[in-house]
Amino acid sequence: MELKIQNVTMTYPSGKQALKGLNLELKSPSLIGLLGPNGAGKSTLMKLLVTALLPTGGCILADGKPLARAERTLKANLGYLPQDFGLFDELSVTQFLDYMAALKGLPNPKAAIQEVIAAVNLEEKAKAKIRTLSGGQRQRVGIAQALLGDPSLLIFDEPTVGLDPEERIHFRNLFSRTAQNRLVLLSTHIIEDVQSVCDQIVVIHRGQILFTGTPEELIQSAAGHVGAFYAQEAAQERGLHITARVNTGKGVRCRAVADVLPAFAQVEEPTLEDAYLYLISREAAR
Amino acid sequence: MSKIYRYECRRLLWNKFFVGLAAVLLLYGALVLHGATILGVAHTAPFSPWSFGDYLSRMLPLLWIGTLFLLTFFTSGRARRAAVLTDATPMPPRTYALARCAAALTGGLLLTLLCTGEAAVFYGRMFGWYGWGSLALPALATLLPPLIFAMGSGWLLGQLRPWLLYVWMAAPLLLAALPLPEALGLWNGSFFTTYPLSLGTLDPGFTLPVPVIAAQLLLLGLGAVLLMKTSKPAGRLR
Repeated sequence: MELKIQNVTMTYPSGKQALKGLNLELKSPSLIGLLGPNGAGKSTLMKLLVTALLPTGGCILADGKPLARAERTLKANLGYLPQDFGLFDELSVTQFLDYMAALKGLPNPKAAIQEVIAAVNLEEKAKAKIRTLSGGQRQRVGIAQALLGDPSLLIFDEPTVGLDPEERIHFRNLFSRTAQNRLVLLSTHIIEDVQSVCDQIVVIHRGQILFTGTPEELIQSAAGHVGAFYAQEAAQERGLHITARVNTGKGVRCRAVADVLPAFAQVEEPTLEDAYLYLISREAAR
Repeated sequence: MSKIYRYECRRLLWNKFFVGLAAVLLLYGALVLHGATILGVAHTAPFSPWSFGDYLSRMLPLLWIGTLFLLTFFTSGRARRAAVLTDATPMPPRTYALARCAAALTGGLLLTLLCTGEAAVFYGRMFGWYGWGSLALPALATLLPPLIFAMGSGWLLGQLRPWLLYVWMAAPLLLAALPLPEALGLWNGSFFTTYPLSLGTLDPGFTLPVPVIAAQLLLLGLGAVLLMKTSKPAGRLR
């Protein structure tokens, strides 16, 4: 699967320009982390990729064909988990997945359903009515329906929202395994989710792409721009973007990103979160 | 498609709302049958097509509400949130909409069968009368066009704004209170009480004047067109 996003613009009827001339190439196998602050345009991009929206400018090609003409083929190979979705509360987990399998036209739904129920750890709730499930369990049903039928393109918008830390790790690993022979696009603002599994990162801010590359490249871009110091040392300092504060025996230890670090700051090895925040703060300062 | 139809039937018909709706319908039907239909209309027998038509006209507002209520399963906010998942599947939107429409029609048909069945039992037990075949025409003429129209218009309105469906439920109640022209007399029952008297014979056979047939056919056609139109893929922003 190969997706080419060519000069894509999306302006809503309200006049809000969600995406501005986006260019991007996504190829399988890959697990791509889509990062960006709230309102950056991540969900809009995902809706365009699943043809829930049509771009107001530019075009998207799926395996060389315009998405508008290859919609059916794309959807036959698509697993999609939107950020906000509903389920049929009257049905049980298995029945709902059977319903989705019918919509996807799966030839052997029983085996596929058992497989995804096991993948999302919902065996005990397989016969439970959806209305009786907790928020995290509903999210897992959402993930299960996306995985149904082994699609070659998986698009997850904030998939780990509502999951406890243990479940989040489980799903990170699941996404990582899944991406070995597929194209997986993972939108999130939880850096941890991306750091551990994604081989490529796309950072979107205000409808434009700020960065595309590997996590290592993003980390390297922040080298020399991350420092640590005690809070009292930086009382008067401006232009620092504090990313973490930790109480220690000597006072509050701060971690910050800046274009030019002050002399009192001790240069630190950047993490992916530092690098992301540095990139966003640099852009916001413009 | 048949699996989707079966699941939709299950969602629509296997719940407390449908059971409640059916119970209310049967209760109201019993009240009408024992309070009004038993007396007959326009000097005809209680089991004449005219009296039966009058009974159906009185039941029509509830059947209309019931049919529109079934559509709320597809147009509610919750259903729209589920649509983001179903829309991302390769099932053609028209096929999917048809399967769901068929399930809602099945629900409407079941409600209709309940109230006609209740009348049939009433006629059998009270009068030992079993000539149900003569009641098929008034039943079809009275119920089919408005219920297909309810389905088509309701589907369209529900897609525009879900709350419009609830407003639309009040339409037959409003019509029942208005002095309607003869062509629309099936809606408020006035046709069944006045038209037989105008025929000048005692216990006349069931006939429909041309304006009434035209109005009912128009309603039926409009409902069918709306159903076909609204089952097309929903528009996406561009």
